[in-house]
Amino acid sequence: MSVDTTVETSSVFGVHVPQPRQHGAAGGVMRRLNFGTGLIGGVALATIAGWGTAILTPSSASNATFAPMEPTYVYLAVLLGWVIGFMLGIGAFVGPLRWVVGSDITHADAEYMGGKDLGKKRYWKYTTDHKVVGIQYLIVTMLLLGFAGLLAMLIRTELGMTWTELFSPSFYNSMIGTHGIAMILAMIVAVTGPLGNFIVPMMIGARDMAYPRLNALSLWLFVAAVPMLISSMFMGGIQDGWSVYQPLASQAPVGMLGYQLTIIVFAISTAIASVNLMTTILTMRAKGMTWSRTPIFVYGIFASSLMGLYAFPFFQYAQILGLSDRVFGTSFFNPLNGGSVWLYENLFWLLGHPEVYVIIIPSAAIALELMPVFLRKPLFSFNFAVAGIVGVVALSGFVWAHHMYMTGWAPAANYPFMLSTEMISIPVGFLVLVAIGTLWRGTTWTRLPLMAVYAVIFNKMIGGVTGIYLSDVPADQYFHGSMFVVAHFHFMLMGAGLFGGMAGIAFFFPKMTGRILDERIGSIGLWTSFIGFQVTFISMFVAGLQGQPRRVLDFDSQFNISNWISTIGAYVIGIGMLIFLAAIITSWRSGDVASSNPWGSKSLEWQTATPVPLENFPVLPVVTERPYNYGVPDPYEAELDAIDADLAEKVGNK
Amino acid sequence: MSTDTLNPQTPEEPEAPTNRPPSMRRVTLWLRRPYARRVLILTVVIGFLLLPLCWLILAGMNQTGAPASEIMKDIEQTVFVFTLVSIPITAFVFAVLLYSLLGWRRVTGDEPPMQDSPAIRTNTIGVILWTATSSILAMFLVVWGLIELAQITANSYGSISANEQPGQSKSEIINVTGQQWVWTFEYPQHDGLTSDVLYLPLDRPVYFNVTSKDVIHSFWAVELGVKIDANPGAITQTGVTANKLGTFNVRCAELCGMYHAYMQTEIRVLEQDAFDSWVRESGGKKTS
Repeated sequence: MSVDTTVETSSVFGVHVPQPRQHGAAGGVMRRLNFGTGLIGGVALATIAGWGTAILTPSSASNATFAPMEPTYVYLAVLLGWVIGFMLGIGAFVGPLRWVVGSDITHADAEYMGGKDLGKKRYWKYTTDHKVVGIQYLIVTMLLLGFAGLLAMLIRTELGMTWTELFSPSFYNSMIGTHGIAMILAMIVAVTGPLGNFIVPMMIGARDMAYPRLNALSLWLFVAAVPMLISSMFMGGIQDGWSVYQPLASQAPVGMLGYQLTIIVFAISTAIASVNLMTTILTMRAKGMTWSRTPIFVYGIFASSLMGLYAFPFFQYAQILGLSDRVFGTSFFNPLNGGSVWLYENLFWLLGHPEVYVIIIPSAAIALELMPVFLRKPLFSFNFAVAGIVGVVALSGFVWAHHMYMTGWAPAANYPFMLSTEMISIPVGFLVLVAIGTLWRGTTWTRLPLMAVYAVIFNKMIGGVTGIYLSDVPADQYFHGSMFVVAHFHFMLMGAGLFGGMAGIAFFFPKMTGRILDERIGSIGLWTSFIGFQVTFISMFVAGLQGQPRRVLDFDSQFNISNWISTIGAYVIGIGMLIFLAAIITSWRSGDVASSNPWGSKSLEWQTATPVPLENFPVLPVVTERPYNYGVPDPYEAELDAIDADLAEKVGNK
Repeated sequence: MSTDTLNPQTPEEPEAPTNRPPSMRRVTLWLRRPYARRVLILTVVIGFLLLPLCWLILAGMNQTGAPASEIMKDIEQTVFVFTLVSIPITAFVFAVLLYSLLGWRRVTGDEPPMQDSPAIRTNTIGVILWTATSSILAMFLVVWGLIELAQITANSYGSISANEQPGQSKSEIINVTGQQWVWTFEYPQHDGLTSDVLYLPLDRPVYFNVTSKDVIHSFWAVELGVKIDANPGAITQTGVTANKLGTFNVRCAELCGMYHAYMQTEIRVLEQDAFDSWVRESGGKKTS
């Protein structure tokens, strides 16, 4: 094979730039890899690994309690084989492998990986373009939300049919566990995944993320984790709630391995995504975009990534120890052999509470980001909003044990944790003030995204106030472990988190898809789910007040009425969400074509063409003013002066 | 002409109206504005509409006979006060939400509004007022919570070592054991009498030593306001003085496996005489 000595050129927005000669042919195996080969690789390696383990494991292998260990080993091998095979098959390791063998990725390869001239095929490949990754995240998140939402419907059906039991207790427990963890994972990525990837680089005026290949890696690790979670439902299920407290989890069937490996892989994916987003935001903001000119959504994504980065390792570590207990017979969490159940609870909630803010802060930031656009006025007290986000991040690591008030772990620690938890209402209050200050005297342009923001603020107030009861130890002594808690965190994670995500999708839809989200169908979907949401969870508050414990499939007849109402509400949410989904699908396929800036926004992401070209901007923008520079000179001054002069005339000038 | 120079007839001009009036005056001026008044009136209206929640919440909690102890009474008092304190802020936020849709200008249509809104970038007085109010309220809640916590701790197990010797005094000690999926109550002062229904004497302090044989359970005496986890390999302590006769509920408040939902039993609070006779009648169940 002769070496090609011609000078390669690369076209950057029509300008041909000579490139240094690079090794390696502009072909290679990576051009043949896609999602399909990933599936084939995953299934093949999973089969081989499982089969091999089954052959190699002696059938007499058992653990200390004489339970056969063969299924555990085989399932573990299958899951590991799936992840590695899938990542190999989709081409995640092509870059590093080629670097190792000395034929690094060429410029043409990098452009290929960016999805240049690939059309729709790029959505099925290991594509590095942040916009493609954003869309991929959106699709995966919606699928996961749909799966977990279906489980929610089944759970409510069971609870609403008080006269009979539809499901066995173990399957019911497995449903609530899987619903919980699937929703949590979906909500963690719901805003940061699609919008953090698609919008943030454009919002800060960058061509892509700082590490495009890591971006693709974080996405496809997430994609690889989801089937593991779902597979656990067929392996006995996660019967221990989403928190899988030990030692109950060690009693669980092998399906628990699916949970543990999902978390381990997901934590890697989160860490990569967090580092990538944070580096991008820190280093790649456009010229002139100082911190006071950086939009609030970027702050929100940065804060969320930061909290995810320090919180997830605790969770991952807890699951690694749990996996070790299960597979290797160690006893980190087994009290009979000197382990501690409180150790698990601490590690879990060290993730568990920051994670709530990981979900809520981005959707709160979305709300603040799009209010100025629809109210045509600047964000009220931008610095205060930043202070609020900083305050939440600062306190997020010091509140975890409020989930453990009733565990008896450290009764004396309840005092400081109550203090820190109630302190968090102050920075959260900052964000509320910024929201209502921005609404103040604004002309409301009542489009769908703004209406979703109203829903977010309303739900957040209810979730916040009920959170005050739970932060208080005496009141928590009654509410802990009851349906009241379930209703509270649904108001926060769904009412504020998911509705914030819906606001964000509706707002950025024209930029992401080039079409306007159907206003009428979308609004019907939004308000139907909003009303269903209030019905479901307010009656769930009532059930909690009456004393219904959470995670039960059967209960005293005194709770019947609130559960019936709650179930009816849940179906209304389901219908509303389907309508909203229909709006997304029909608008994506055949909605009105959007102009490049349909909302008249002044943010950078709206200043480039739609559909957004590869590398976003023909020329990188330079930022010369603060964000949200909307608004006319405030008549406040003139009006006040007039009144003052009037007053002075009447009472005399003293 | 010279007089003019000596006595210039320049009338005293009023102070330039561009000078900002002092803060307090600005607040009173602000209150004269029609929209400010309407928002405040709306706040008051919404606040009064929300006010019944204070009692409705307690009514929900009291459905099965609570409060049956001083602790539960404290809990309900806390809930009542917290609801009351939250209402003004909630009402104000809801009022602004409502007024921004109905009161200030609203436009629809596909195109962005032609005219922008006033560019209010910040408002020092508003920000300070909000921060001060929310901090004071949060501090109030914290202080209230700390005092109440100290009080219910004293009411439950705080006094066990301070005031009396356990086992010799009028207090009753009960060892609570959770296991999948039953509660067992052992009365060590009565020769290890055991029962699967919790019998309590009226108006006497009871101390619980709570543990578990297998996984984590949570011992919840609903109407008494008592909750503590039952952990394997550890004993947690709490206590209560039941002050109301009747039949109440024990439920498990921590998912503990398949039949978690059915891990519940009854509490029977009896007069001292009736409690004594129950102990005597169940004497056959003595384990040692």
